[in-house]
Amino acid sequence: MKDSRLPWLRPVVALVISAFFLVPLYMILVNVFKQGEKITQSPASLPDPPTLDNITGLLSRTDNLFWASLTNSIVVTTLSIILLTVLSAMLGHFLARSRSRWARVAMLLLLSGLMIPPQVILMPITQVLRALGLMTTLQGLVLFNVGYYIPFGVFVFTGFLRGIPIELEEAAAIDGASRSRIFWRVVFPLLRPATASVLIFLGVWIWNDFINPLVILGPSQGTTITTGIYRSIGQYQADFGTVFALMFLATLPVLIFYLFLQKHFVKGLTGGATKG
Amino acid sequence: MAVDVRTTSVPASATPGSRRPRLPRAERLRQFALFGAPGLLVYTCFVLAPIAISFGYSLTNHNPFNPPTRFVGLDNYRLLFTDSEFLTSLRVTTILTVIVVIVPNVAGLGIAVLLDRKGWLYNALRTVFFTPMVLSSVVVSVVWTRMLDDEGLVNQTLRALGVEQPPGWLSDPRLALYSIAIILSWQMLGFCVVVYLAGLQGVPNELAEAASIDGAGPVRRFRSITWPLLAPSLTINTVVLLITAFKVFDHIQVITHGGPGTGTTATIAYDVLQTGLVANRQGYASAMAIVMLVIIAAAAGVTLKVLNRREVNL
Repeated sequence: MKDSRLPWLRPVVALVISAFFLVPLYMILVNVFKQGEKITQSPASLPDPPTLDNITGLLSRTDNLFWASLTNSIVVTTLSIILLTVLSAMLGHFLARSRSRWARVAMLLLLSGLMIPPQVILMPITQVLRALGLMTTLQGLVLFNVGYYIPFGVFVFTGFLRGIPIELEEAAAIDGASRSRIFWRVVFPLLRPATASVLIFLGVWIWNDFINPLVILGPSQGTTITTGIYRSIGQYQADFGTVFALMFLATLPVLIFYLFLQKHFVKGLTGGATKG
Repeated sequence: MAVDVRTTSVPASATPGSRRPRLPRAERLRQFALFGAPGLLVYTCFVLAPIAISFGYSLTNHNPFNPPTRFVGLDNYRLLFTDSEFLTSLRVTTILTVIVVIVPNVAGLGIAVLLDRKGWLYNALRTVFFTPMVLSSVVVSVVWTRMLDDEGLVNQTLRALGVEQPPGWLSDPRLALYSIAIILSWQMLGFCVVVYLAGLQGVPNELAEAASIDGAGPVRRFRSITWPLLAPSLTINTVVLLITAFKVFDHIQVITHGGPGTGTTATIAYDVLQTGLVANRQGYASAMAIVMLVIIAAAAGVTLKVLNRREVNL
């Protein structure tokens, strides 16, 4: 269909609406390079003159807020998504290929996990982790992430496996390959698009996660980059220079990641959405 | 049965389900231990068991700083439905959820229809609309607070335009909840746009052209062809928005702390953690959490059922 009348109307309206979406991003960008007091006085003005003080100040802080938080975020996110991919691919494959009644029960329990709010389980989680000696540790947070996000991984992998003919696996089995060998050599390489979706989505979610690291890592045991932003608003009420620099540096990796892998993001989302 | 073996053994794909021989029990157990068990074990420890523990606590007066813990039966649940604080949080959550299910759904559909064209401009704009989805809620909350504060960007602009008493978007108890709902809608809109765009691209062009030849105008074409075919997109958007809005916590914790005033923006999720981890009334907070879980499961279940029926009836 063509726009018959007023062909300029559509792009103009689209641009005006998108401006509404860009204002907050613009706010982050201009205020990072502005002196602290100007951020509250004139939040929308261009930085004049632009300064790197906020960023250099943050990077050289004596309490190491940025570098420690960044390390924690990288360690937690990387370990969590690797474990999640491996465990949910194996579990998804097992459940998709099993004909047992129990597999269907397990699947149902996992899928209902997609809607469980973290608030429902966080209180007992602190006790489970304390009993395991893992409360306020990065390992504890990683384990929690694996348990909490595994339904999403299983959901994506089983959905994708439905489109992969089982004959391939049977052929490999006839050739004498063991189940592990079949999985890692035949099935897992075929799952690559699903693996990409799982890695990308869970990576962004875990990186941005707020309440889980806040509760599990506790108030004194260091922060991730997201809880670091929250703590720096509380502690330094007036120092918006630091806050904006931290937000900028916390968002930059995800944003770059997103701009490069955009296609996968959209495919991952709509793959599940349009199947119906 | 007397069947000729030579003719039936060749086409092996007649009944796909039963054709595979069932493995011996020991082998099946070994495969379960290797592939199924690790994931299920972690899920059980960190999701299923905590839910069971929560339910157990909800029947007690557990408070780690005020022992001993006693069994109180359903007292916590009975108390909940007379507790004005809890009833307020229920109301706040419902208002927030209704707005956040409607606004991004409607606006997302509009924007998707607007962007359903080819070309670099529309590709670039899609990227723009989806960006809030990859931002952390904390970042979104801090930036929007800077914009909606009494002296923030929005009110500075309004003053410059001659409005003498601009509203306190986040400080007026009557407004704060709606401001939070708009912030959340802003963040979720991109998701809806992407899902609707994918749905629109699945609508065959021939259908619209045929209808156009039959004399259907753009409104009629949308109502009779596009909209029914978008049913799966509507389902996914509505369910995702419902679950997201119902468990909102981050924005409340960063922007308003449940205020201004008492509990004007305290959602159930916020109330559960305040009662459980700040006031340490864990038995009572667990009862809240269980009620929250039941409501969210029921709401999602009913929504799915209603919207799926619509898809079948096409």
